Amino acid sequence: MVAIKIERLTKKFGDFTALSNVSLDVQPEEFVTLLGPSGCGKTTLLKLISGFLEPSEGSIKIGGTDVTHVPPEKRDTALCFQSYALFPHLTVRENLEFGPRQKKIPASERKTRIDDVSEKLDLTAQMEKLPNQLSGGQQQRVSLGRALAMRPSVILFDEPLSNLDAKLRDQVRIEIRRIQKEYGLTAIYVTHDQAEALAMSDRIVVLNNGRVEQVDSPELLYHAPKTKFVADFIGDANIFSGTIVGQKGENIVQVETAIGTIEFETPTAPTSKKVNLCWRPESAVIGNTGIKAKVVHRAFQGHFTDLMVETNGTIFRVQAKRVEAQEGDDVQLSVAPNEVILLDQSA
Amino acid sequence: MKLRRGLLIIGLLTPGLGLILALIGTVVYIAVSQSFGYYSLNGTNEFSTEFWSKMAGRKAFKRSIQYSIYIGVFSAIFSVALAYPLAIWLRKPFAGSNFIGAVLKAPLLVHGLVAAFLFINVISYHGILNQFMQWLGIWSEPRRLQNDPNAYGVLILQTWKNMPFALLLLTGAVQSISDDVLDAARDLGAGTWDRFRRIIAPLTVSGMQAAMVIIFIGAVADFSFQVIAGPTNKQSLSQLMVSFKGRGDWHSAAVVGVSLMMIALVGSAILAVVARMVMRGRIK
Ligand SMILES: Nc1ncnc2c1ncn2[C@@H]1O[C@H](COP(=O)(O)OP(=O)(O)OP(=O)(O)O)[C@@H](O)[C@H]1O
Ligand SMILES: [Mg+2]
Repeated sequence: MVAIKIERLTKKFGDFTALSNVSLDVQPEEFVTLLGPSGCGKTTLLKLISGFLEPSEGSIKIGGTDVTHVPPEKRDTALCFQSYALFPHLTVRENLEFGPRQKKIPASERKTRIDDVSEKLDLTAQMEKLPNQLSGGQQQRVSLGRALAMRPSVILFDEPLSNLDAKLRDQVRIEIRRIQKEYGLTAIYVTHDQAEALAMSDRIVVLNNGRVEQVDSPELLYHAPKTKFVADFIGDANIFSGTIVGQKGENIVQVETAIGTIEFETPTAPTSKKVNLCWRPESAVIGNTGIKAKVVHRAFQGHFTDLMVETNGTIFRVQAKRVEAQEGDDVQLSVAPNEVILLDQSA
Repeated sequence: MKLRRGLLIIGLLTPGLGLILALIGTVVYIAVSQSFGYYSLNGTNEFSTEFWSKMAGRKAFKRSIQYSIYIGVFSAIFSVALAYPLAIWLRKPFAGSNFIGAVLKAPLLVHGLVAAFLFINVISYHGILNQFMQWLGIWSEPRRLQNDPNAYGVLILQTWKNMPFALLLLTGAVQSISDDVLDAARDLGAGTWDRFRRIIAPLTVSGMQAAMVIIFIGAVADFSFQVIAGPTNKQSLSQLMVSFKGRGDWHSAAVVGVSLMMIALVGSAILAVVARMVMRGRIK
């Protein structure tokens, strides 16, 4: 059984379509991330799932039940807000107890849950404090704890780490994943930080302009992006459009691009002559064969060197481990055909 | 340096606070002195508790106290009770919300006496309310609504006049609660009533207290609504005070006046504490 089934969901605000025709199945205990640039509709989708917005079209099922028109207070979801949204007049304990009290959970069971949550989140020393007496990281944990105390079947996060500093963010990221696994929760996590998405998720939903661009595991998204947008948004990518000029052997196609001929491997030949290709900067091998280019910028990054190189007026990026070439030097580079990705033609 | 700072603060405060303290101080001093027999207009100036003890024995005095407290408490409660839902409704701007807000605050601009006369006209024996009810066929003949013995007329006028003030205070308080906090409560299972009881009420209790206290103090000392629309068989404390003064009995008038001040003080303290307990006690 799927935990969350979203079917052809559309949300309009007046004339503006914030989400269009989104479908998604989330498996039980899966950690799914909604990733996309600002304004692409991530929060809108999360609010539709939690019930704060009603869709213009489409339906949402949670645990097999249609909840499309069920108000948030009656849904078995718990939302962690970006602003934490702790109740300022209640102590940490009262904040944690809020949900279970609303659900009329008996006192003994409530105590078990709060003790469990406060221990797992290392909040036992803070229980009698008010939210404004806590550090940012502690507030974040209370907000997480408050949602966990509900024992929801689905937990939703809206950019929960954006108010934390980089170091704390890494720590809490691991924490969230650990807790989610421990409680066996189905999680939907919103972020616009691709590194965060790649590091945490079982699957990533890439959204752009209210549409789903691609849904895949982090590895597949990185190594096999389907569209220009995904290739560009996740990691660095060199994207070229070109024309097919020939074939080499069974399944290697040759494409003429702005920087010269590039070969890519494909089991089925593309239907059209015009194609979009991409490859990752680290796929290029600097050597004695291939495309000739001039180094225009060089930045040593520690575990690799980042080069911006130019061929026929086109600038692209190359990353390699040991690079002797300096700015202004000429280099030759090649990309293995199986490292070159064919993108959707439409975009 | 410290001295200069202190002098500066005193200098800045004197025009405002000094004037207020001087005026209030004088009034309170004169009223209290008069209630004990001093500042007599006919010359005899000696300390006496006679006016207090006589007053304590008067039935009319006790009835006035009860009546004024009744008016004060219920005016405060009704005004706040009506203002809360409106404040919550007007929390987020929507098309026309500014206009509605302005209309609701209009009573602040209408003088109480004018309002009272309008009200009397509406509910009079041959007024439009009677005509309307008869036209609807709900009442077969006109009813006497003016100066009703339970003072509903006064309470309606007080509420009408004071609700906008409560609304002003509560709107500010309610608007300062963030959407996320209310959404979080909702997400955790709190319906409309629980959100009010457990989030909005405790977070706005200070504004609500201020509204209660100020409305109570105003209504407990009501004179104009009472004279025009109040029951004819009951007197408010202000009315009683004026009637003593009219008879030239300044000492008894002072006793009533001082009592009124004490009731306002003690009453508002009690009201504030009770309001806080009711609102905050609900957290559990
Ligand atoms: N209540 C609303 N009325 C009108 N437009 C809205 C409303 N809420 C959101 N939008 C619009 O819908 C689009 C998607 O908004 P949303 O908040 O989902 O973006 P997001 O992906 O969460 O962005 P961010 O990363 O900046 O949080 C935006 O263009 C926004 O302006
Ligand atoms: Mg957002």
